[in-house]
Amino acid sequence: MSYYLSIILFTPLAGAFVLLLVNKENENAIRWIANVVAFLGFVVSVPLWFWFDPRGADFQFVERAAWIPSVGAEYFLGVDGLSTLLILLTTLMGTIAVLSSWTAITERVKEYYIFLLVLQTGMLGAFMSLDFLLFFLFWEVMLVPMYFLIGIWGSANRLYSAIKFFLYTLVGSVVMLLGILALYFAYHVQTGVYTFDVTQYQKAGFDAGLQWWVFLAFFLGFAIKVPMFPFHTWLPDAHTDAPTAGSVILAAVLLKMGTYGFLRFSLPILPDASHRFVPMMVVLSIIGIVYGALVALAQKDWKRLVAYSSVSHMALVMLGMFALNPVGITGSIVQQLNHGISTGALFLLVGIVYERRHTREISEYGGLSKVMPVYAAIFLIMTMSSIGLPTLNGFIGEFLILQGVFVADKRWAAFAASGIVLGAAYMLYLYQRTMFGKVENPKNERLLDLDNREFATFAPLLVLAVWIGIYPAPFLRRLESSVQHIVVRVSPQYAAKYAECNPTPTPDRVAASSNPAAKFLAAIPCDANGNPLPEKR
Amino acid sequence: MQGWLSILIMIALGAGFALISVVLSSFLGPRKPTPEKLAPYECGMPPVGDARERQSVKFYLVAMIFLLFDIEIAFLYPWAMALRDLGWNGFAQVLLFIALLLAGYVYVWRKGALDWGGDQATARRRSTIGD
Amino acid sequence: MPPGISTSDFYYILPELVLTAGALVVLIADVLLPRERRSALSWVTLAAVGATLASLLPFTSTHVEVAHGLLAVDRFALFFKIVFLVAAAITVLMSVRYLAIEGASPGEYYFLILCATLGMMVMAGGIDLITIFIGLETMAVSFYILAGFIKPNQRSNEAAVKYFLLGAFSLGILLYGMSLMYGLSGTTNLRVMATSFGAMAGDSRLALAVILVVAGVGFKIAAVPFHMWAPDVYEGAPTPVTAFLSVGSKAASFAMLIRIFVEGLPSASEDWRLLFWVLSIATMTVGNFAAVTQTNVKRMLAYSSIAHAGYVLIGIVAGTSRGITATLVYLMVYSFMQLGAFAVVVMLRRADVVGDELKDFSGLASRNPFAAFAMLLFMLSLGGIPPTAGFMGKFWLFSAAIDAHYYWLALIGVLNSAVSLYYYIRIVVFMYVKKETLGSEPTTSPTLAVVLAVAVAATLVLGVYPQLLFNVAAASARTLGAAGATAALR
Repeated sequence: MSYYLSIILFTPLAGAFVLLLVNKENENAIRWIANVVAFLGFVVSVPLWFWFDPRGADFQFVERAAWIPSVGAEYFLGVDGLSTLLILLTTLMGTIAVLSSWTAITERVKEYYIFLLVLQTGMLGAFMSLDFLLFFLFWEVMLVPMYFLIGIWGSANRLYSAIKFFLYTLVGSVVMLLGILALYFAYHVQTGVYTFDVTQYQKAGFDAGLQWWVFLAFFLGFAIKVPMFPFHTWLPDAHTDAPTAGSVILAAVLLKMGTYGFLRFSLPILPDASHRFVPMMVVLSIIGIVYGALVALAQKDWKRLVAYSSVSHMALVMLGMFALNPVGITGSIVQQLNHGISTGALFLLVGIVYERRHTREISEYGGLSKVMPVYAAIFLIMTMSSIGLPTLNGFIGEFLILQGVFVADKRWAAFAASGIVLGAAYMLYLYQRTMFGKVENPKNERLLDLDNREFATFAPLLVLAVWIGIYPAPFLRRLESSVQHIVVRVSPQYAAKYAECNPTPTPDRVAASSNPAAKFLAAIPCDANGNPLPEKR
Repeated sequence: MQGWLSILIMIALGAGFALISVVLSSFLGPRKPTPEKLAPYECGMPPVGDARERQSVKFYLVAMIFLLFDIEIAFLYPWAMALRDLGWNGFAQVLLFIALLLAGYVYVWRKGALDWGGDQATARRRSTIGD
Repeated sequence: MPPGISTSDFYYILPELVLTAGALVVLIADVLLPRERRSALSWVTLAAVGATLASLLPFTSTHVEVAHGLLAVDRFALFFKIVFLVAAAITVLMSVRYLAIEGASPGEYYFLILCATLGMMVMAGGIDLITIFIGLETMAVSFYILAGFIKPNQRSNEAAVKYFLLGAFSLGILLYGMSLMYGLSGTTNLRVMATSFGAMAGDSRLALAVILVVAGVGFKIAAVPFHMWAPDVYEGAPTPVTAFLSVGSKAASFAMLIRIFVEGLPSASEDWRLLFWVLSIATMTVGNFAAVTQTNVKRMLAYSSIAHAGYVLIGIVAGTSRGITATLVYLMVYSFMQLGAFAVVVMLRRADVVGDELKDFSGLASRNPFAAFAMLLFMLSLGGIPPTAGFMGKFWLFSAAIDAHYYWLALIGVLNSAVSLYYYIRIVVFMYVKKETLGSEPTTSPTLAVVLAVAVAATLVLGVYPQLLFNVAAASARTLGAAGATAALR
């Protein structure tokens, strides 16, 4: 199976080439091909879930080939638990995004699907690459299709939003490129080898001063993508003006690029700097959580509200990550998946009413639960998932994050919790304004409920929301070695403690524990009683 | 600063020469103006009428072509003086040089730059070459 | 001192001789062929360029000085000669259609293109100030005429006069600098000069010479503040000439720059690095910000070409072997993307529509998807977005800067390339997003299609698999200079 990742990676791109050959007038054929290709892309990625061995090597399905030997760049792919889950999320959301566009896109159908599929390859490549230059290549490749998706098929202010998205992300990524180059030369000074191999960088242990600068460079690239306050201003515009599928991809996958970047590169390669930047990251995250939530509360535009909720949720993800302990990081990753599922679904939901009514004004709606009961039910489940109601996925992520943050600093946890409360407020307020009450707007009286295709886009998300909510162990098990890998680099004291209090942390035992919290309590440095210790500074 | 000094002297000499010639001539020269002396071109045509009178471009063409082929002599003369030292190799190089000029000559000729006056032969050639 | 030039010297300048012969054949054929057969001249020109390319083959690993150190035949020169000849070939292919539309006579045009190419080749090979200057003049005079080649067009005339006056002025400055270099060292040979300057580091007269030569070369590469001529000339000149000017002339000037500074003035490298550092930053920034406000595509590409000179200067500032390699890589990829972009502009030229305004691009994606896709690719490449060749070029430049510890320069460079995407993307917006109401119908012709196909292929292939180019460029940069001079390269 040495070409397995390449197959996953290039299936969408191959589909895009096939689409190039189809006559652009033949719109239904194009839609069918695109859907089949996207679904195929998902199907070929499913075995990854089963074949990935949580107990195996750090990076699996590794593919290495010379790419540009003269600069030491390689075609180097490999996945660990973190990227496995994000790849599966990508292929799933990609399929859903393509399926959701069937009736929404009526103009320039061929180009639309080509861009979506190219975007898909870019995202998958970024998650798979273990060569920094290759990663950067895929990272930038994502920009152009997304720019077109917003700029051509978006709503009123699309050109402004598209260029804003493009330039923001670009500025961040070019500065990141400088950071990559700085590491590249520093690594050469250390070892005499020119390489972009990330796994080597992770072992290198760079000079603290260099780490500081490189962290800043990476921070700009990743924080804009996440997006963290104060770099978030492109997000509401881009989300509001993007077509539904664009918003779904943007929320579910593209934003994860930023957090993935922090987890894969910043933390393990720059552990000293990561510690030094904890105060800044935490303050920005807390501002993001509270600010995003408060602004969301004040929105009159349905889609914009969801966009700001993204800012708040992603800030929570960042806060959990920069607790720099195993529980916080695990929670952060789980919450990334949850955010992809629930926010992706929320954007789909907005898209459905937008397609029927062509407005996103919340005040235009009201009482939809009477005319669209199935829709209202799904919306309710996804709202609860977003809020973090137990038995749904959001709870697991938020709980783990709070737990990790609490260990790091109780004050941070207080802010994080306040964000969750505010989250409940704006989501329920939205639900109340749109779904409950009487149908006062006559235009809403004849709205059609979901058809089968639309329901099909939600079905997998509902299943996942419940699955992660009730039985997250398979996900956590796949993440364990990744998290350990990061923690060993960034907070070695936890790794040592972990080994101490869990002399034989056999995966079987961990798997047997159906209570994720108990399992992860074990991962926290603990005394003989298993109680968490306050972090030493 | 030695090097600068020489540059400075050079500048001073240049400027001084210009200045001295102008000043001296105004002191030494006799001043007996006649109408001829006051005319802008003592030796040329009286400047009557519009200064922007049209002149045939042929004058310029001929002047330029003359210059170009005149240089040929300037190059050939030193070669002729050193003919024995340079040998066949030098001969080959001069042949190459002349061949280059010959190509230019053919071009100039066929373009009609050597034709004087608007006679019919030129007009006919113009119409076939087409400019 | 042996008299004259030996026979072996003629062997080493075979490519130049072939090209000269080709140029003369074109010139004579022009006046001998009947008018209706003259379109064949473009094929004669292509054949001449092809023959010259073929005649480069015996010299792929030659490293000699010919004619008593007037010219060097080395890989460095070879690399540039390939760039020039490829650019010339593409320009000729582009011109076929353009000249037909303009109704201009092709003979002298192609002759001048070949002459300019010859001048460039001499510039790249020159290791003597005299040779370099002769090459420069051959190229520059050809371009003065080419810029004004469309005689009935006032803008074209204006371009020619402006280019001529400012070009002559800059040559004066350059010559003054060169004469100082000659006066200080007593030789015009750059490699001999380098040794005699070795003891003169920090001499203020040498600094003056450096400043003057930097200014003179700055004009030629259109570096800010010596860039004023570029936008007007680029806009007014016939589009294929603009393309050739912005690629060939620029590359040749960079070759000259590297020869003069890296080979001739390694001992003053602190001085010229500082000057080029300032020029580089000013050039990128002014070029990009001025381009943002343009509505004429040719003018916009002119400013973008100014900005690109600024990027390339990063490699010179770094001054390392990596920096020179980066310069070579960038000039090669830049040729393809810039020529390709101009080819699309030529495509939009019709008898009644000039086709170089932004609005002429609106809706191009639906009228001619391939041209629009090609333009999209060139714009992304100029902006440095992977997987295009432009990214690989920028990657080299910025890595050279980081490697030589010019961190701020690299930072300003990358931020500039982000700014540049703002205006590159604007063209894309017009092509892909605007409705197709205004634009002119693009004229397709087989030659233009070939140009676009070649440029697209090069931009993509060099963007995804640049290994070969990197190796060749690195090898070329290594052969630069005699053994002594290369020591200047860290």
